[in-house]
Amino acid sequence: MINTIKINSNISLHYIPMQKLKTTSLGLYIHRDLTAEEASKNGLIPYVLKRGCKLCKDSGEIARYLENLYGASMDAGVLKKGEDQILGFNFESISDKYAPQGEKLLYALTDLLLSVVFEPIVENGGFRAEFVEQEKRNVKDMIQSLVNDKRSYASWRCVEEMCKGEPMGVYKMGTVDGVDAVDEKSLYEHYKRIITSSVIDIFICGDADDAQIAEKIRSYTDKIQFSEAIYPKVDIRGQKGEIKRIRDEMDVTQGKLSIGFRTNIKATEKEYWGLMVANSIFGGGAHSKLFNNVREKLSLAYYASSQLEKFKGLMLVNSGIEFENFEKAYDETLLQLESIKKGEISEKEFQSSISAILNALESYYDNQRYMEDLYLGENILGNKYDIEYMKEQVKKVTVADVVAAANKIELDTVYFLAGKGGK
Amino acid sequence: MQLTKKENKITEEQIYFGTHESGLNIYIMPKRGYKKTYAVFATKYGSVDSKFIVPGEDTVTEVPDGIAHFLEHKMFDQPDGSNVFDRFAKYGGNANAFTSFNMTAYLFSATSNVYNNLETLLNYVQSPYFTDESVQKEQGIIGQEIRMYDDNANWKVFFNFLGCLYQKNPVKLEIAGTIDSISKIDSKLLYRCYNTFYNLSNMTLFVIGDIDVEETLKVIESNILKNEPFKEEIKRIYPEEPKEIAKAYVEQKLSVAMPIFMMGFKDTDTGYNGNRLLKKNIEMSILIEMLFGRGSEVYKELYEQGLINERFDAEYNMQPDYAYTAIEGESNDPQKVYDIILKKIRSVREKGLSKDDFERIKKVVWGDYIRTHNDVEDYAHSFLSLIFMDVDYFDYYDVYKAVTFEDVAKRFDAHFDEKNAVLSVINPV
Repeated sequence: MINTIKINSNISLHYIPMQKLKTTSLGLYIHRDLTAEEASKNGLIPYVLKRGCKLCKDSGEIARYLENLYGASMDAGVLKKGEDQILGFNFESISDKYAPQGEKLLYALTDLLLSVVFEPIVENGGFRAEFVEQEKRNVKDMIQSLVNDKRSYASWRCVEEMCKGEPMGVYKMGTVDGVDAVDEKSLYEHYKRIITSSVIDIFICGDADDAQIAEKIRSYTDKIQFSEAIYPKVDIRGQKGEIKRIRDEMDVTQGKLSIGFRTNIKATEKEYWGLMVANSIFGGGAHSKLFNNVREKLSLAYYASSQLEKFKGLMLVNSGIEFENFEKAYDETLLQLESIKKGEISEKEFQSSISAILNALESYYDNQRYMEDLYLGENILGNKYDIEYMKEQVKKVTVADVVAAANKIELDTVYFLAGKGGK
Repeated sequence: MQLTKKENKITEEQIYFGTHESGLNIYIMPKRGYKKTYAVFATKYGSVDSKFIVPGEDTVTEVPDGIAHFLEHKMFDQPDGSNVFDRFAKYGGNANAFTSFNMTAYLFSATSNVYNNLETLLNYVQSPYFTDESVQKEQGIIGQEIRMYDDNANWKVFFNFLGCLYQKNPVKLEIAGTIDSISKIDSKLLYRCYNTFYNLSNMTLFVIGDIDVEETLKVIESNILKNEPFKEEIKRIYPEEPKEIAKAYVEQKLSVAMPIFMMGFKDTDTGYNGNRLLKKNIEMSILIEMLFGRGSEVYKELYEQGLINERFDAEYNMQPDYAYTAIEGESNDPQKVYDIILKKIRSVREKGLSKDDFERIKKVVWGDYIRTHNDVEDYAHSFLSLIFMDVDYFDYYDVYKAVTFEDVAKRFDAHFDEKNAVLSVINPV
């Protein structure tokens, strides 16, 4: 299913065969502890690196290189999994089998990936100044644009308030001030440090000869001196104290209610499977209590759902409502969670939730990016579970397990994005 | 019934198709090794179809805007009071539906109990149950959906853009309608639309996954209710759209961090479907990538001047009766972006397109086509929307091969006319 080749103390290559798709994806992930000090620099690095490298000296050359590979794609940015800030580079190409003239597309793509990550353009002891200046602006735009999508903005604000003072409360791209403080020299120094002192996962999913790709990776990295690194660690315990209630006002027509809970369950513990089912019953789709009560019964919202953040042990409920329905929606949400805690779970709700989770897990088999993402997560957790194992665990969950898991969930933060003028 | 088989040697794909005596068009596409099966039961009926003549009648029926979408929501209620989602949930199916300008689609994906899920899909879409009470309840839910869009800057910039391009074409109207228009919907109107557009002769079923074709067909046949196919087409009445744009510029204020823009060109070469339309689409895809892609001069100039950022995209959208190019992004100076793009287009008009660029980008478009076969959901959606335009996606290779540099050059001259250019901007409050 998945074959791992250790390249050196820090770098591993993971190959997931998936020949039924017509593409092959290639991803490289650099793991860093999410901290206020580093976040802005780490957030900037992928964007600077993708501007040019030894192989292709600017964006135009990179674009033409990719176009010649039948429109291969390249994406770089940051991900956040709990308190792991990940610098991610995602490439994808049609598989060699479909190259009309027998071109070795994956090889060519791997060369570009490795050159982008390990062979940046260096001038006067720093990154190229114009790349850094332009990307600082680009990244600042992205940080500020978070507010444009009110739904994800409200959800993030809830997490930010909930985890204030914890690494989790740091935005994945850092801050505007943090980005402003960076220059081409300090950023390059930081790059040199992290590239040699971080765990790096490389994934290939599709159709490849992984042993040959591993050789290529070695040839790019064997002159670099690495110091052994481990995956970032995370603490799931919440802060003691009152429930936080936060209200922001903005010029909007619909209110966004976002409620944050601490699950107090790690994704490495066996209680996690019961928690997965509890979340599904609560707000994991059209079979859930939130959908059927907040939306269908009370007509309060078009969307009302809950999600688990498995790395930090959070559960987040999001819904869009009329301003004056805040109390009603809030009360109903907590009431539905309470009913799960009391074991008021119908056979239908329970079975539907198990089926929905199994269906979602199986669907990973048809998507290369999801597959990479799933195994990337497992690496961080140190679980190394495969999909079949996960399915088995979900099938074993009982209603008692669900109730037990639900009873560990604690309300932490209530966030409401309201209209201007106290509406 | 017998299905016809079609094969594509290059993509190694095959598809089976036929028309059932009820009038329903059926497509079954086996995908070996896939875990997920995906089925879409779609009607050629979208938000633009508010005025029509029912076959056999001679008067025009006019219904409130947003009714196709409203009807989609209400299809989930069942005569016995049960909820359709519950039935899918029992079989592990993930069900959903959507309404676009030109289509309403009911769908599910499932990794097990495929036939039970398929039966459920066929049954509920063929059994409408509307009451005035349930219509009223839905007005609250859809009201919140409309409000959600009201705050969505990306959505607003798009509809304001369409409002610039079109004077009459109903594509400029919001798919969900307005709070006011949906308040005029009642159960009688819903039945009227249902009985017209959900006649099976106006519908298509597409099933894709690692499935047995014969077995799947059996399930379909035994779950088709008796239907009298229309002998004539449903006559859809669209207002005559002038060649000219409605207005060149529009702006709105919303809570955004920096201005968001969408600019583009109204396509006036419209009114045809089939492979001719597909060829135009391929020509336009090549052109857009040549002119505005990541490797283009325009992109480089705009990015390096700080006029655009990571969020910049250009695409061509088409239907037989309307089409347009849309270029969108964020910028502190959308007007300047617009000016630079028009300036660039003028200079290409003088100097001509690059043949090297054309050859390279033609490869990109081929890669994109190969890539569309990966995801069963995306494939089904593309295939269906094309079928409703009388385009057979299996013919892609032949049409693609025939596209020449001269075709693309001619298309450039015809499409990128400054008279047809518009700009829509959302400014921060």
